[in-house]
Amino acid sequence: MRAWYLLLIIPLIGVLIPTFYNTLEPELAGIPFFYWYQMLWIPLSVGITVLVYIKTREQDVDDA
Amino acid sequence: MRDVNTTALVVCTTLFVAVSALGFVASRWRRAESLDHLDEWGLGGRNFGSWITWFLLGGDLYTAYTFVAVPALVFGAGAIGFFAVPYTIVMYPMVLLLAMRLWSVSHAHGYVTPADFVRGRFGSPTLALAVAITGIVAIMPYIALQLVGIEAVLRTMGVGGHWPIIVAFTILAAYTYQSGLRAPALIAFVKDSLIYIVVLVAVIYIPIKLGGFDEIFGAADEKFDKSPQPTDGVLLANAQVLGYSTLAFGSAAALFLFRIRSRRCSPRAAATRSSATWQRCRRTRWCSRCSPCWDTWRSRPA
Repeated sequence: MRAWYLLLIIPLIGVLIPTFYNTLEPELAGIPFFYWYQMLWIPLSVGITVLVYIKTREQDVDDA
Repeated sequence: MRDVNTTALVVCTTLFVAVSALGFVASRWRRAESLDHLDEWGLGGRNFGSWITWFLLGGDLYTAYTFVAVPALVFGAGAIGFFAVPYTIVMYPMVLLLAMRLWSVSHAHGYVTPADFVRGRFGSPTLALAVAITGIVAIMPYIALQLVGIEAVLRTMGVGGHWPIIVAFTILAAYTYQSGLRAPALIAFVKDSLIYIVVLVAVIYIPIKLGGFDEIFGAADEKFDKSPQPTDGVLLANAQVLGYSTLAFGSAAALFLFRIRSRRCSPRAAATRSSATWQRCRRTRWCSRCSPCWDTWRSRPA
């Protein structure tokens, strides 16, 4: 169950290696990739964090 | 005073008066019997739920740094200033790991500050003092930054000099003294609403006014091309890539001054004691329900 915490690494990999996304193309509505890609990670990261929170909280309840 | 921007000044003054009034009224919000207790003053009586905390954190994190310093950096240098976005993205997963345990332990033991936690956790008043002093010293440049930011905002409206800042911060200090954490918590509802207005205007109205995002990025690209600086641009220069990610990661790590290393109740430790609490702790991880385990551990025979 602790393995759920490993999911938290995903957003870190997603945004902390700029080499992956330091490009102009593909553009989205006139916004260069560099900018919209990172903005995209905001909802993704929220989703992952919520998922980990719910899964690890359930585990505490199970144990009680 | 030259070129006073009347509209901006009226809006700003009105909001300031309203927010200050709210700050003083806050002491009566979810009123406790007395504010003399540090829990009441510093933590709002420990009964802020998820919603209030959510607003409070929003009001806390998004400051003059977010609205003046970071946009100024992006405007002046381009991509490098955008590090604030990955910074806030990686911060929340990191905080989830640490703050949940910090919260449950602090809740169970009545800790108010990080220093209380350190004293209880490591049994060292010296270390707790060091943490308290570090916290106060570390916040000083941050407050100075806010002052510089607000002064810049006031200057833009045509109000110069130091006196408006002195007046504003005296009032701020007065209602904080009176209402404690209730003041920023209540004000956060106003502040967060204003933040949302700013975001919507920035994302919808400004691009429409300026002819779309491609127009904006095109103009930025032209401006950065003309400047002799090699470190500005719509994208990161190769030499900036590492700096970008360390800025983001470092800022996120620094937001919470210290890390919590949890000493969990391990089966090995439990084997040395067969009490019911230890047995329970073998199954649960360290959480509020596990505090008896922690107490047992602290009072164990040397």
